[in-house]
Amino acid sequence: MSNHNALQTFGRSGNPALSDATFSDEAKNFRPHVKDLGVMTLEGTVNKTGVLLFLVVLSASYTWNLFFRSGDASSVMPLMMIGGIGGFIMALVTVFKKHWSGTTAPIYALLEGLLLGGISAIYEAQFQGIVIQAIGLTLGTLASLLFLYKTGIVKPTENFRLMIVSATMGIGVLYFVSMVMSIFGAGIGFIHSNGIFGIGFSLFVVAIAALNLVLDFDFIEMGAEQGAPKYMEWFGAFSLMVTLIWLYLEMLRLLAKLRSR
Amino acid sequence: MDLNSLVFGIISACSLAIFFYIGRFKASRSQLDREDRIDWSTRKFSVWKIFLYSVGGVSALILLTYFL
Repeated sequence: MSNHNALQTFGRSGNPALSDATFSDEAKNFRPHVKDLGVMTLEGTVNKTGVLLFLVVLSASYTWNLFFRSGDASSVMPLMMIGGIGGFIMALVTVFKKHWSGTTAPIYALLEGLLLGGISAIYEAQFQGIVIQAIGLTLGTLASLLFLYKTGIVKPTENFRLMIVSATMGIGVLYFVSMVMSIFGAGIGFIHSNGIFGIGFSLFVVAIAALNLVLDFDFIEMGAEQGAPKYMEWFGAFSLMVTLIWLYLEMLRLLAKLRSR
Repeated sequence: MDLNSLVFGIISACSLAIFFYIGRFKASRSQLDREDRIDWSTRKFSVWKIFLYSVGGVSALILLTYFL
């Protein structure tokens, strides 16, 4: 199967940063003359995920240290803003220009690291030891779900995909409505509360974020199986990173709610 | 290093090792040789259906918390 055909045979992961509408566009825009150095492999994708993880930790350690040296959240706010907005823009660029993933995905990881380092430091200052717990639970979930996927215990189907993508979009809509309402001084209380509903909601979001990992694994497996272009390794690693970062942030929120009770 | 850091640090390290090791292997035949695998080239359900499902879910959730 040629690279072009391989690309047409699969689309995207189910993670929250990506859109279904990009499937056909990518296949349409793919130019066979673009220099492809081989085809997508599982090993290549895993290695590139490692590179992105390293870059996230590298930039996160900078804002983390900056916060604890100054002891003031305002010292990391500009960097967090740059990381958040820049990371969002880079994610959009990566989604719409998949063949740029080799460049945009590492930039995305560095920018997101700035944001994560700041957020993690702020949580750590409030609840000591919470960050290592969130990291442990996030990576533990990653490894467990990878094992369940590889062994065939969890089998993603079209209905599974519909359920997860709908729930992910629903959470996105809810967060967006909450953000708009907060501008006018209102809000959807239970999202941030540490009561039963708040914790239940956080548990639900963590579960959906975790199940998005299964869609990412299936997407990567299919890409490697069909011999997608080499740059899709970066895109697969990027998809995984988006889900992992989302899962980590939701773990932090859940743990913070539990510890503030 | 306190116990919390030690326990979760070990979990993190082991999980990363598992990810980098298992991730390189193909999934089992029971995972790959299935009729109901996701076809990533097509969208079986329309975006509108997904959107309606999600908005319906969110509305139900908000109503539930409002009445309880």
